[in-house]
Amino acid sequence: MIKFVYMKPKASDKNKSPIVRMDKSLEKYKDKVLFKDKLDKANEMLKTIGLPKTRKHS
Amino acid sequence: MQLERYELKAEQSLKVFEFTSEGPRGRISKIVPFGETNLKGLFNLAFGDKDPTTGEIDDAVVSNNNDSDKVLAAVAATVYSFTKKYPGVWVYATGSTKARTRLYSMGLTKYLIEILEDFDLYGQRLGDWEPFEKGVEYEAFLAQRKK
Repeated sequence: MIKFVYMKPKASDKNKSPIVRMDKSLEKYKDKVLFKDKLDKANEMLKTIGLPKTRKHS
Repeated sequence: MQLERYELKAEQSLKVFEFTSEGPRGRISKIVPFGETNLKGLFNLAFGDKDPTTGEIDDAVVSNNNDSDKVLAAVAATVYSFTKKYPGVWVYATGSTKARTRLYSMGLTKYLIEILEDFDLYGQRLGDWEPFEKGVEYEAFLAQRKK
């Protein structure tokens, strides 16, 4: 027998997920490299230190 | 985190967001792109003002629109939206100046308990990442949504 269970979304999820309206005029930015200086700096830094080795808060 | 914030708009892939700051200096359109870095699954979060005539984006401009809390809340909301659409990604952010990085750090500190419910958060210091702690000066931040 198959049981269907209705899972209520957590209240916190509802509060934290913002409503986002779609806007086609923003498509023009999608494939552009915005803030290139910042992105270059981020890439340079990531090349050196990469992702965190220590894990999470205790 | 239930903060007053601006309404968000985005293109279809939810990698570029826009909202409008409102204050004494008028209505200022802000663009928030999540840029792909060379590290797979890691995106650079930046934001800046859109020039209403040219459409060019400037992240060095100081808007002084007396709404920095509301602006940061809107930027935080883009991170929630982006990481919901792309679970598992890392989001990297730093300010364009030391003062701005400190401002972001203060914003993260203010809501740290709520943020840590949903994200693993790291600060960059002395050439390495460490779990974000209050009162420490960091050069950049890195967040990953918890599963």
